[in-house]
Amino acid sequence: MPRASKRKAAPPSSSVAAPPPDQSRKRTAKATSKPRLKESDQIDNLFDTYANRSLGEIDPEGIESLCSDMKVGYTDVRILMLAWKMKAQRQGYFTKDEWQAGLKALKANTILKLVKALSELKKEAESPENFEDFYLFAFKYCLTEEKQKGVDIESSCELLKIVLGSQFHSQVDSLVEYLKVQKDYKVINKDQWMGFLRFCKEISFPDMANYDENQAWPLILDNFVDWKKEKSSSR
Amino acid sequence: MTSHLKEISKAIEAAQGESFLEELNRKWNDHNKALQMIRDILMYMDRTYIPSNHKTPVHELGLNLWRDNIVRSSKIQTRLLNTLLDLVHRERTGEVIDRGLMRNIIKMLMDLGSAVYQEDFEKHFLEVSAEFYKVESQKFIECCDCGEYLKKAEKRLNEEIERVTHYLDTKSEIKITNVVEKEMIANHMLRLVHMDNSGLVNMLLDDKYDDLGRMYNLCRRVPNGLLTIREVMTSHLRETGKQLVTDPERLKDPVEFVQRLLDEKDKYDSIINKAFINDKTFQNALTNSFEYFINLNARSPEFISLFVDDKLRKGLKGVSEEDVEIILDKVMMLFRYLQEKDVFEKYYKQHLAKRLLSGKTVSDDAERSLIVKLKTECGYQFTSKLEGMFTDMKTSQDTMQGFYASHPELGEGPTLVVQVLTTGSWPTQPSATCNLPSEMSALCEKFRSYYLGTHTGRRLSWQTNMGNADMKASFGKGQKHELNVSTYQMCVLMLFNNAERLSYKEIEQATEIPAPELKRCLQSMACVKGKNVLRKEPMSKEIGEEDAFFVNDKFSSKFYKVKIGTVVAQKESEPEKQETRQRVEEDRKPQIEAAIVRIMKSRRVLDHNNLISEVTKQLQQRFLPNPTEIKKRIESLIERDFLERDNVDRKLYRYLA
Repeated sequence: MPRASKRKAAPPSSSVAAPPPDQSRKRTAKATSKPRLKESDQIDNLFDTYANRSLGEIDPEGIESLCSDMKVGYTDVRILMLAWKMKAQRQGYFTKDEWQAGLKALKANTILKLVKALSELKKEAESPENFEDFYLFAFKYCLTEEKQKGVDIESSCELLKIVLGSQFHSQVDSLVEYLKVQKDYKVINKDQWMGFLRFCKEISFPDMANYDENQAWPLILDNFVDWKKEKSSSR
Repeated sequence: MTSHLKEISKAIEAAQGESFLEELNRKWNDHNKALQMIRDILMYMDRTYIPSNHKTPVHELGLNLWRDNIVRSSKIQTRLLNTLLDLVHRERTGEVIDRGLMRNIIKMLMDLGSAVYQEDFEKHFLEVSAEFYKVESQKFIECCDCGEYLKKAEKRLNEEIERVTHYLDTKSEIKITNVVEKEMIANHMLRLVHMDNSGLVNMLLDDKYDDLGRMYNLCRRVPNGLLTIREVMTSHLRETGKQLVTDPERLKDPVEFVQRLLDEKDKYDSIINKAFINDKTFQNALTNSFEYFINLNARSPEFISLFVDDKLRKGLKGVSEEDVEIILDKVMMLFRYLQEKDVFEKYYKQHLAKRLLSGKTVSDDAERSLIVKLKTECGYQFTSKLEGMFTDMKTSQDTMQGFYASHPELGEGPTLVVQVLTTGSWPTQPSATCNLPSEMSALCEKFRSYYLGTHTGRRLSWQTNMGNADMKASFGKGQKHELNVSTYQMCVLMLFNNAERLSYKEIEQATEIPAPELKRCLQSMACVKGKNVLRKEPMSKEIGEEDAFFVNDKFSSKFYKVKIGTVVAQKESEPEKQETRQRVEEDRKPQIEAAIVRIMKSRRVLDHNNLISEVTKQLQQRFLPNPTEIKKRIESLIERDFLERDNVDRKLYRYLA
């Protein structure tokens, strides 16, 4: 949650917020009713612990205190994955629906279980079938304004480091270096963002021998490859 | 009979030297006669007995016997061959031989069956010829220049053809000419074409139509001959063309630059016409070469437009209508070679605007004729704005008539002529208005209220940077002149009606003419000899901010009317050029996007490379889009959800309805 970082730490008082009126959502019988009931109540309680009472949502401050309770940095990729799991719509906020669906899917009704579930979640998000979805989510999650199409270079670089840094360390380093020196682009759009992932997955690095400019790569990657090649040849 | 022939054979063998062939010929005639008689006598047998028993007919048998006993007898066969070949050789070296005898002997060989002719004579004849021409061509190429060599080769070729018609089998013609072509042309072609000081390039340079025609005709006979000529011509043309368009000296005079291009084109047109029998492939090669080098210089479109401008301003004065058409057609031809037709259009519009507004065009017919040509070449869209400019000029005339009709009191005092220009049709710059002299601004106001009175809902803004004025002025010693000046210059001059001396700052303040324009206009009135109606202190070639200006009382001119350097269309300065360039690039973006969308709308799914090439194809009528720019536009369309990439094959684009 890099964007939430500017908020000050959550006041402890938020944890004693009164529970909001119970909402009557449809709950189809699926598992045995007793533990489920209990579980959903616990999930709701947990939500109330972090939620901003006037908003009826967990706000950036709530998320920070959640992070500190879980002893996880708020820029940790796992928090982003949690947001992905919750299908969170708005950066820095969790609605009650998102929270309930997410925690239920993670089978977590306490902080302790949630912390444990996070490492499982990491495996899930990084699995081949899910990673692209998560990667795209991470980008869209940063689009905070209405009709916003791109993420500024600075944030894009941070985001790249968070989501791709562990898997494609050298690629991300080079790419970030390039993005910061180039002058042609001020924002990264979705197409370019997806291009980065495809580049990391498909192109041998650092020689980039199988990079073919005729393969309809976004122009920014053509430029990156030129820049990289020029740099290594001038050395 | 065989023994009889053996006798004859001996007789022929006995014949010495020259008489050998004659003897052979005589005996052959006798034999033929005898054979005929025998055949006649044995005719019945020939008709009944022989076909049913599959025997050889009498006459044929007689020929076979002659063949075996005489022609192929060991003593005669080689001697006969050597004698024949020797005769041919002698003829080749210039001696006169008995062609009738030759013909008879060869005829004998052919009568004995084409196999005999081919085996016993033709085969050897061709071998010997090949050897002969190999040696000869080697000799020639060492000592002749290309033109001479070609003449000799042509002569030899004709001799051989003539020889065939005189005494050889007509079927031999192709074979022997092949030998000559191979030995004399094909084997030496490259060396000939590239020969120093006399090869193809020199022939082209010196317009040697005869030599070129000869080379064309000879090379046409051998495989790849024309290809070689064409390639050498193309590369020469490209090289000289490239030098022409990139020579910095040439860039100084656009009119001369274009004239040189036209001259070059004329030169090659007449070479292809006179020497290369208007060969289509050569014409294409010429076109390709021009397309190649004309576009090497990014300023070609501007220069061509300037060339037209020069012609339509003054170059066509007193030229007949047909000649005007010819010149315009030539210009159109250069235009066709341009890749960046839209750049040409931009410049053409600017230059046309200046011509129209200053009333400097030589002939309205010529102007319109060129527009029609452009229209047929590039379609309605290309010229609609240009035509709009003409319409505006016409409408303005009517408007001015109406204006003066409704204001009869304006007969006195200054006359105002207004051209009402439709925004969008004209290359107007954001108007930097200046302060007009009060007499003029009052008049302008009257026109404004008249015009807006008849056309409600319109907006008028003054383009003072594009106008001009005629003024009457009297100088120190009472000399009177009529000055033709630009609107800006008029504003400056009018100030001197009420002042002796004005500083640069004062002029600038009073007129509010933008500084670069003001400097240019002061320079043309104070620093150009013969036009210096103003005097400036200190005297220098440049205008400084601290300068002071006076009316030049000593001004004199031979002419009553003095035209003071109106801003003539000239080569653009570097920043102007870049600005135009930028505007062109900006204009191209929507065109590229429109092309992409058009293509994707009909194709729905298309891969990257095909899309690029389709877009290029669609747009090359107007300009050659840069692939990188197309890619940028595609990405922009993806961002705006007109297109998407295929999920599996990333090279594919999909159209999103």
